[in-house]
Parts: sequence; C-alpha cells; structure tokens
Amino acid sequence: MASSLVASNSPIRTTVTARDDLIGGLMKWEIWGRLGWFEIKRRYRRTVIGPFWGAISIAIVVLAMGGVGSGLFHRSAADYLPFLASGMVVWIMIASMVTEGCNLFIGAEHLFRQMRFDYSMLAYALVWRNWISFAHNLSVYAVIALIFAPHLLTPFILMAVPGLLLVGACGAWIALLLGMLCLRFRDVQQLIASLMQLAIFVTPIFWSPEDLPGRPALVFLNPLHYLIDIVRQPLLGVMPSFVTYIAVAGIAVTGWALTIVVFQRFRKRIAYWS
Amino acid sequence: MARVTLERVSVEFPIYGSHRSLRKALFERAAGGVIRREGTHHELVLVNALEDISLDLTDGDRLGLVGHNGAGKTTLLKVIAGIYEPVRGKIAVEGQATPLFDALPGLDAEATGYENIVTAGLLLGMTRQEIELKIPQIEEFSELGEYLSLPVRIYSTGMIARLGFSVATAVEPDILLMDEGIATGDAGFGERAAERMRAFIGRSHIVVLASHTGELIRATCNKAALMHAGRLVTIGSVEEVFARYRTETASAAEP
Repeated sequence: MASSLVASNSPIRTTVTARDDLIGGLMKWEIWGRLGWFEIKRRYRRTVIGPFWGAISIAIVVLAMGGVGSGLFHRSAADYLPFLASGMVVWIMIASMVTEGCNLFIGAEHLFRQMRFDYSMLAYALVWRNWISFAHNLSVYAVIALIFAPHLLTPFILMAVPGLLLVGACGAWIALLLGMLCLRFRDVQQLIASLMQLAIFVTPIFWSPEDLPGRPALVFLNPLHYLIDIVRQPLLGVMPSFVTYIAVAGIAVTGWALTIVVFQRFRKRIAYWS
Repeated sequence: MARVTLERVSVEFPIYGSHRSLRKALFERAAGGVIRREGTHHELVLVNALEDISLDLTDGDRLGLVGHNGAGKTTLLKVIAGIYEPVRGKIAVEGQATPLFDALPGLDAEATGYENIVTAGLLLGMTRQEIELKIPQIEEFSELGEYLSLPVRIYSTGMIARLGFSVATAVEPDILLMDEGIATGDAGFGERAAERMRAFIGRSHIVVLASHTGELIRATCNKAALMHAGRLVTIGSVEEVFARYRTETASAAEP
C-alpha cells in the first residue's frame, strides 16, 4: 500500500489489541462515566428516596445483626456497630463488583453488537457506578458512627481513598475476567453467586480475626479480607497495615497480568460468544 | 480519505451446547452460512458466515450488497464496522466506520431525548462539542420539540424512530454501513427523510449498503456485490450483478 495513505490523519484500524482496548477505553471516560451514572439514575428513577433504599436495607441488617453480634462477641454497641456497618458497606461494594462483573457482557449486547466498542469501558463503568453506590451507602456508616462513636468521624477517614482506588483497580480486572468467563460458560455466574453468599460468612465481616484465632487461613489467605480491610480500617480510625497494602497491590498486579493475557487472547471472541 | 481493505476474511460462529438455542443463534446472527461440525462427537457446531472475502473500497465507492437472507450481508457489514473481528484473514479500515443498524446506539428509555442524543453521539465517535453543534439541526429535523426534554420511555415507536434517524444522519461518516431497515427511512416521514438520507450518503466517503431489493441499491450505489452462503460470488456494476442475481434466483426456483 502506498505510504501516502498511511500519512493521512485518520488512524487505520486493523486488528485491535487488548492494549488499544484497555487504554483507548479508559480515555473515553466521557462515555463510561455516562453509562455508569445513567445506570445509577435508571435504578432509582421514580423512587422518592432513590439511592437511599440501598442504605436503608443495609441499616436494617446492621441493626439486627448488631444486636446478635455484639452479644455473641461480647462487644459494646459503640465498638461493634461501627465495625459492622463499615464492614457491610465495603463488602457490598466488593460483592456487587463481583456479581455484576458476571453480567458485564451478557447485559450489554445492545452496545457492542451495534458498533465497534472498547469492551473495557463496561468494566470502568461498573467500577464507577459501584463507587457512587458506595458513597451513598456510606451514609449508613456515618449515621451509625455519629450515634454510637462520634470520635471516629475525623478527616482520617480520607485515608480510605487510596484503598478505594486500589479496590477499584481490582474490581475492573475481576469484572473483565469474570465477564468473559460467564459469557462463555453460563454456569459460572451461578457458581460465583453461591460462592459470594458463602464468602460473607467465612470472611471477617461480622467477626474480627481475633475472634477466631484458630483459623488463620480464613483471614490471611483470604483475598477478600485484604480488599475489605484496606477501606474499612481507615473508617475505624486505624491505618491499614503495610501487609494489607502489599496484598491488595499484589492482587491488582497479578490479577491484571492474568486478565491482560486472557483478554488479549479472547477479546475478539466476545462478540461471537454473546 | 477513507479506505476499506479485506484480505481473504473468514468469519465463523461457534454454536455451543444445547443450552443455547441453535435456532436463535442462526436467526439472530443473520448468518445462513454453511453449518459445519467439529470435534470427535460433533459437539462443536460452526456456522461459516463469511468465507474468503476479499474487497477493496476507496473514496467514492458506493457498494450494494445483494443476496438472499442469510447470505452474509449483515455479517460483512459488522466485520467492516469492527464488531466482529475476522477469524481468518486481514482487515484494514482507514477512517471512522459508522454503522447504522438499529435505531439509536445506547438507547436509554429512562433518559431524555437530549440525553440520548449525547450518548448516541459519543458512542458514534463524536466529541461533546461536535454533538452540541448538531443539536439544533437534530431538533429541527426530528420535530420532537418539547418531547426532547422528556424521557424516551413515553415516546411512540414512530417518535423513537424519528429521533434515531435524525441523530444517525447527523454524523459525518467516513465509511457509512447501512442495513436495509434504517436505510429505507423506517422513520416514514416522507420526502424530507429521503432528502436528508441522500445528503447523508452524499457526504460519506464510502458507503456499503445491504439490501435484497434492487430499488435502493440502484438509486444509491455505483457498484454491487452478490453474496451467497457467505461467499462473494461476483462484484461489478449494479446492473450486471442484478442480472446475475435474477438468473440465479430463477435457476434455483426451477427443479
């Protein structure tokens, strides 16, 4: 082909690589920001208190479980309720990134079957909308802390932000990877849903690692434990340990390495699998 | 400057296990290609939707794709659009390919007409400023007035079609890919739509149009290609291709 063709200003699209998709998609923040935001709006359109329905249901769980848990673990309400509320709010964000990740491509065929589309945008939109939901749900934590432990509400809470960003980085690869897997093998979605129901009990959310000294594997080998703690600890006025940061960074890096390999190999099959 | 080059492109759809309906997959994909079975127990069913397609289009080309249902016309458009990447062969596309298959990309029924215009525009590759500049003419052409500030959910089918058509035809495509439905102006608002469509096609560098009726292709295209079972049978002038299409249809009808 003559080189004059190549010199023209419009880019030539040949085969799209995983890198083009991931970076090109990230640059189109206007699109995924909009898709994520509209999804939130759609969920709550025509409800009066909208996003706070989610918060209310968390509040009910926290109050009910709080009564049981504080008795079970012999902890005062001032100690246990903020612990439980922060754990639930962070858990719900992570769990919905995972379960919604299974539907990443299944629910979005109308987008990528109509035009060329950077698939990664769906994962970015998912993380974005879960951050927005998290911000809403955080109101539960704020109210409970205000009532039971107002000393926790300090600017130190902002230390949760780096953790939140790292959790988002993990959420994006989890969504992409699970999205591809669930699109190809439709059973995986059911499997993940069951596993997540189990995970809420075996992960330290209702209970602290100290409550179960005999089962260190559930804590130290459980990636969910680190993903939760990195956001939860600052909410409780505690700096997450160095190990927690390393663990979450490790989950992000290894997860992305695996996802990039799989995405590179199977990205172009996504349209065919749908 | 726009260019589309396909080199021996093949596309095949895998049809997995019984839990995913074979019939549904066949119809939805408009892929009436050759069905093949692979694997020791024939567990993998493959539909060859496109087989060995080579094509080179440059500025000024208006290609009409002719063929029966399931000949591979839509699949070919989707390959050029970048929705499907070829399983074998190479494709190079220079310029922005704009597919017009369905009404409005990313349609959100709960969002307003204006919000949907912006979403669709962004998805079609326009910048925010470009979209803002197009809004007055979309308002004017769609004649939806106040409705544009209301959720699309309350629109009638005709109003949604009109919005879709107005937005779609507002873009500046390098390569325009059209499937029969929208091209015929399903919006059904007469001569104005036809006029807008002509202008739209006129300013596209390359047009590829899939249809099984001759009228639209004769009016629009300067060359045509006959497709059959995923293969490009012949490519040439519109009249030649239609003559060939007619004889093949006639001979197929005789026992």
